[in-house]
Amino acid sequence: MKNVFIYIIIAFVGSIVNAQETNISEDKAELSKYQQGMKKAFSLWEEGKSNEAANIFERISAAEPENWLPPFYVSQINIFASFSEKDQTQVKLQLDKALQFLNEAKTRSKENAEILVLEAQYYTAWIVQDGMQYGMKYSPKVVALYQKASIIASDNPHVLLGKIEWEMGSAKYFGKPTDVYCSELKRAVALFDTFKPEGEFYPTGGKEYAEKVVFENCKTE
Amino acid sequence: MNLTKLTVFHLLLAISVLLCSQIIDAQTIISGTVKQKNGSPIYGANIYIDGAYDGATSGEDGKFNFTTSENGVQTLVISFVSFETYIMAADVTQMKDLKVILKDDVNSLETVVISAGSFSAGDNSKVSVLKPLDVVTTASALGDFVGALQTLPGTTTVAEDGRLFVRGGEAEETQIFIDGLRVFTPYTPTTNNTPTRGRYSPFLFDGITFSTGGYSAEFGQALSSVLLLNTIDEPDQEKTEIAIMTVGVGLGNTQKFTPKKESNFNQGSSISVNATYINLAPYIALFPDRNDWQKPFETFSGETVYRQKMYNGLLKVYAAFDNTNFQLTQEDINLPEGFNFKLNNSNFYTNANYTASLENDWKIFAGASYTIGKNKLGLQKDNLENTENSAHFKLKARKKFSNRVKLSVGVEQFSTDFDETFAATEFISDYGYVNNITAAYVEADFIFSQKLALKAGIREEYSALFNQFTFSPRLSFAYKTGKNSQVSLAYGDFYQQPNSDILKFNSNLEAQKTQHCIFNYQYSANNRILRAEAYYKDYKNLVTFSNSLPTFGDNFNNGGNGYATGLDIFWRDNESIKNVDYWVSYSYLDTERFYRNYPKQAAPPFANTHNISVIGKYWIDDWKSQIGFSYQYASGRTYTDLNIQGFLNSKTKDFNSVSLNWAYLLSQQKILYFSVNNPFGFKNINGYQYADAADANGNFNRRSLRPAADQFFFIGFFWTISEKGTDNQLNNL
Repeated sequence: MKNVFIYIIIAFVGSIVNAQETNISEDKAELSKYQQGMKKAFSLWEEGKSNEAANIFERISAAEPENWLPPFYVSQINIFASFSEKDQTQVKLQLDKALQFLNEAKTRSKENAEILVLEAQYYTAWIVQDGMQYGMKYSPKVVALYQKASIIASDNPHVLLGKIEWEMGSAKYFGKPTDVYCSELKRAVALFDTFKPEGEFYPTGGKEYAEKVVFENCKTE
Repeated sequence: MNLTKLTVFHLLLAISVLLCSQIIDAQTIISGTVKQKNGSPIYGANIYIDGAYDGATSGEDGKFNFTTSENGVQTLVISFVSFETYIMAADVTQMKDLKVILKDDVNSLETVVISAGSFSAGDNSKVSVLKPLDVVTTASALGDFVGALQTLPGTTTVAEDGRLFVRGGEAEETQIFIDGLRVFTPYTPTTNNTPTRGRYSPFLFDGITFSTGGYSAEFGQALSSVLLLNTIDEPDQEKTEIAIMTVGVGLGNTQKFTPKKESNFNQGSSISVNATYINLAPYIALFPDRNDWQKPFETFSGETVYRQKMYNGLLKVYAAFDNTNFQLTQEDINLPEGFNFKLNNSNFYTNANYTASLENDWKIFAGASYTIGKNKLGLQKDNLENTENSAHFKLKARKKFSNRVKLSVGVEQFSTDFDETFAATEFISDYGYVNNITAAYVEADFIFSQKLALKAGIREEYSALFNQFTFSPRLSFAYKTGKNSQVSLAYGDFYQQPNSDILKFNSNLEAQKTQHCIFNYQYSANNRILRAEAYYKDYKNLVTFSNSLPTFGDNFNNGGNGYATGLDIFWRDNESIKNVDYWVSYSYLDTERFYRNYPKQAAPPFANTHNISVIGKYWIDDWKSQIGFSYQYASGRTYTDLNIQGFLNSKTKDFNSVSLNWAYLLSQQKILYFSVNNPFGFKNINGYQYADAADANGNFNRRSLRPAADQFFFIGFFWTISEKGTDNQLNNL
């Protein structure tokens, strides 16, 4: 049944570069330790040193027990890493770690659309790993998570993109037309332009990936 | 340069020097190496001062060093996946050239699990042989969880009965629990040539543990086996489900509620309701079977689960009601006109429990279950009516002292009140019993390392009916022999009271006893599992009596005994062949017992020597279909041939059955399901009924006991409607 979910696989890996537009003005010499740490972690992540980046986020997570962003990124790095990992034992370890920090993020910030999207990605990762075993079990969870997220934040491009991609994957599989999703996909791309993260270091990336999805699925016009 | 400027300059210089030196003074270098127990370095470990931002990642040689501006006593943390997090509190100046060896994390997947005796289903378990959805996708199971478990080794094929017969044990030696609470009447009533089914819908459960021996001290009153079913904690989403089948219709609905104002008492709740109506009349009109039905099988059942999150815990309330009735005449060698049987059964089961995590790693569980079952039977001209009221109360607590040591304690109470009235033309007789059993247990889990684990428990039970105390030790341990393989050993004593058929006539008895010894080998890697288990089971204090069935005034006593020994092998593989998932089970069983009215020790009719199941599932992507296949083989079962000397002296011919199913996804929301049992029409014989008296030639005539129907067809259409039309039937595949 693996093929069922091939379509549903979300090729995050390309989109991960959480292009943290450093909206911190450089001339402001006095960056807090938190800002320095986060910046360092993002730059390591962009360099491809995701393990070291995760380690820094983990340290910040321990130092900032109220802030949901550091555990969020530890979890996200592990989830994304599992997509390209071949060794099943390693995948399980990564996803277990991702879950641990996902739960930590959830206790720090409730009803958070970004965390709901991450949780949907967590279950998607299991489905990608073993569609036959987890697809049947986790796909309703993924659907429910995107639904909940879109109620909380209907104008968040991450929520809309994830949700539409998932629905499009299922439609493709059942041979249904996917062009009905194009307007929503384009809306997601547009949302990236107007999207204002609620705070410093909040997730911002993904526009390029969204454009790629539009390009691949909505060729006309 | 004037004086003031100079002074200021000097002052600044002095300050900056001072500051610098202070900074230099405050910067402490922390360094060391991180290694595994076997000496190899750990690359990528996270080393940091807790709560500060200072830290580093270990290099390929396991070395790390970083500077910190913290001083005094600090906590150094070293973490890496699959190892226990290392924590050290010391003055930062002491943290130089550290040599740290990380201990294996015993919570990780690499750790050995005690596997002797038990099969787990569900993705929470580390090694699951059956997945919850196998119940509905296994061709021979027909959506019945009991049917799916019969494809596992350790069970014997008793085709006309349908209940679980485990390792030479009778069906009542297996007890079924929902969320840890006993189900007293788990099977639907049926006639004696049609297999029964589990009463409860498989969609309500997301975890199944089937133990064929050597189980935990938490469970008692089961000589052979326990089946643990766990209901779903939280449904994924709101939906309505519709089922239209050749045998009836079903309707289900799930609602979720988010409280407007979250309080400790209500942190979210949900309710699911299912109703099913089954009527075999149209099917039997089209495909008549061997029974002469006056009133074909008709059942109405409804169940509901309510869940509420509260006080860091979860409250679950489950209730199920069903009513079944039918009347038929069956062939009987002693009655030319046949035997007329009428049944009306109503059954109500409810179960409520609350689990919560408390401070200091305590976990508590409190729950109760209650069953009321009423039967009205018409046996030719006689009438039999009985009522069973049973309840189970349970309280348990678990303390986690560390990842390596856990302790569980619990107390429970079982109460049964059974009343029966037998009314024949000439007389009426009333009888019954009240049975109370109180039990307590303690069990400890020790994980010595990723390689070695031990579980030891004791259980004490007191029966008020027998005024008897029983004491059962249980012990199991597991040792990892290689990266993907392990061995486990289990030993235990198990007690169970005789069933209501006996207790209603005589309660001056004792509990029956078994002892299990189990040796298990397990290999699992890459979606392949091999499991081999050898066992020896000793039976003591089995109940004997002198008539063919328990009767009033018979001479009952605990003088029986027996043994069962055998080998169970299981192989499952969903890796080797693309889109194919299959498993093979083989059981070898050698058992004899002296009980009931047996004149000597003999192999009972429900226990045959060889059982084989082969189950396959093939996903055809282009057809959006899953095709399922199952084959069951069982060697012959014993019966007594009255025309030759001896007791249980002959065997029936071997049993063969093939089942096929096809699930077709019409769309995300709709699924069409076909299944056929025994399409090749094997003529199976489950046993023989002999005439009470010999004919003129001194020969006892006999009649073969055949299934009610050789074949069975099923067509169903299942439709799920969810809020936004996005839930899908893949869930039901």
